[in-house]
Amino acid sequence: MSDSYVIIGDGIAGASAAETLREEAPDAEVTVLTDEGESLYNRILIKEYAKGKLPEAPISIHQEDWYDDHDVDLRLNTVVVDIDVDEDAVHTHEGETFEYDNLLLAIGGTPQQLPVENAEADGIHHFWTFQDARRIKESVEDAEQAVIVGAGLLGIDFAAICGAQDVEAKYLMRGDNWWRYALSEEGAEMMHEAMRERGIEPVFGSGVDRFEVDDDGHVEAAVDPNGERYECDFAGVAIGLNFNTELIEDTPLETDDGVVVDEFMRTNVDNVYAAGDITAFNDLVLGEQAKNGSWGSAKEQGTVAARNMIDYGSEEFRWVSSYSITHFDFPFLSFGHPTLGDDSVEATTADGEWRRVALKDGKVVGGVLIGDLSPQSAFKQLMREGRDISDHADHLMEPGFAVDDLPASPEQ
Amino acid sequence: MSIRESNRQLRLRRTGRMPSDARVRHFDELSDDEKQLVAELAGRPRTAPETDTLEDGDVVKFTDYYLVRSR
Ligand SMILES: Cc1cc2nc3c(=O)[nH]c(=O)nc-3n(C[C@H](O)[C@H](O)[C@H](O)COP(=O)(O)OP(=O)(O)OC[C@H]3O[C@@H](n4cnc5c(N)ncnc54)[C@H](O)[C@@H]3O)c2cc1C
Repeated sequence: MSDSYVIIGDGIAGASAAETLREEAPDAEVTVLTDEGESLYNRILIKEYAKGKLPEAPISIHQEDWYDDHDVDLRLNTVVVDIDVDEDAVHTHEGETFEYDNLLLAIGGTPQQLPVENAEADGIHHFWTFQDARRIKESVEDAEQAVIVGAGLLGIDFAAICGAQDVEAKYLMRGDNWWRYALSEEGAEMMHEAMRERGIEPVFGSGVDRFEVDDDGHVEAAVDPNGERYECDFAGVAIGLNFNTELIEDTPLETDDGVVVDEFMRTNVDNVYAAGDITAFNDLVLGEQAKNGSWGSAKEQGTVAARNMIDYGSEEFRWVSSYSITHFDFPFLSFGHPTLGDDSVEATTADGEWRRVALKDGKVVGGVLIGDLSPQSAFKQLMREGRDISDHADHLMEPGFAVDDLPASPEQ
Repeated sequence: MSIRESNRQLRLRRTGRMPSDARVRHFDELSDDEKQLVAELAGRPRTAPETDTLEDGDVVKFTDYYLVRSR
């Protein structure tokens, strides 16, 4: 009898696992269960749809006939509500049961709500699915003033959407600059300036204390902790993700802000694997447990998980992730874990070009590049090699830096 | 990414119009080498040897939309 694989989630992690299983285990039975009403689409392009820059068609990746052609049993609108690891079965909201030999959890996260009054009012948006993007586009097109909350990588997408749709927005941030855990004020100021050019005003030392609504329950203002009132008919909230671990609360599966897996994407239960945003994985590059929240990493984890479900131990996940912002005239790229580390070096290398590299025990663990992306491969290489550069960190700030520019390590 | 054994050269041209059948890819979907290449070619009158995965007619979302030309 052929092996059966059940995958929960048809995001990029689940879908790349399904693709790999089909290619490398041609006789396997593959079932993909998703609570969304549509098959795999490009989650990192839906912001372009909301900006009004892209139509729907190019955002789809797997049409439904892809699943028929590849003999993958896809179940849309199917919420998995329970996992029984003793019986090797999952149960859905409609009472259906799917038995498996191997199970993959590729269930990602759900945006967090602000714990404030009227946080669920009409006109207040979170951003994760294509359906969210459709609602955001419709709502922002009718809006005149907006408020954005969440000074991170998803918040800036809301800012770009408002900018592209000619909606004036106040971007309320708790600290003194955007993504303060990864950027200093100097680097962040380049991002603030780009926002201002698009009609988005960063407001520092702020945040949201409560939303006010009109008689129809539609948002009409955000009030910050200083008592300042910002009128808005659209609000975008991107303050972080809750990982979808409630599904496994009553199972023996280990969790720690995600599902804990080893470098082969296997959980503490032998035939249960996880991949993508949901994982807290053994990061071989960093040397400790870590989380990634990026498209490339989720795709790679799906592939690696599939290979190990077929043959455990066959492939390790060893990856330096990156995440870019492409909304402005200049590029921005963060790589690795730019918010970690015990030290950092940073510099403005030319007009409009800034970089920061985070170090831990003298080794590169992540960084941010603004304007000039040319050292990205070199920095990622140093990170993968775990090279101690504590005595030469300043070299990293030289324009045109290449790994060969570093003096050879003593043991070489 | 590997360089194809052909004499074709890759260029990136800023594009405002999206061909309806174009494959559109976000910069973050590209391999590290392709990222390096796109960052170098975008907005500049430069060419580079063709790669395995960036096809003629593809569109890449970088700081703008760029149409890949391979000739
Ligand atoms: C607006 C936005 C912009 C982004 N921009 C970038 C970017 O520019 N670059 C980048 O690298 N990354 C970006 N990301 C992050 C990137 O999209 C994610 O890291 C990646 O898509 C994660 O893939 P995944 O398959 O792990 O999870 P997801 O794509 O979240 O897929 C999980 C799927 O599982 C389903 N699911 C969950 N629970 C259940 C259940 N109980 N039953 C059935 N189905 C279930 C969910 O509905 C979902 O479809 C962005 C994300 C968003 C939302």
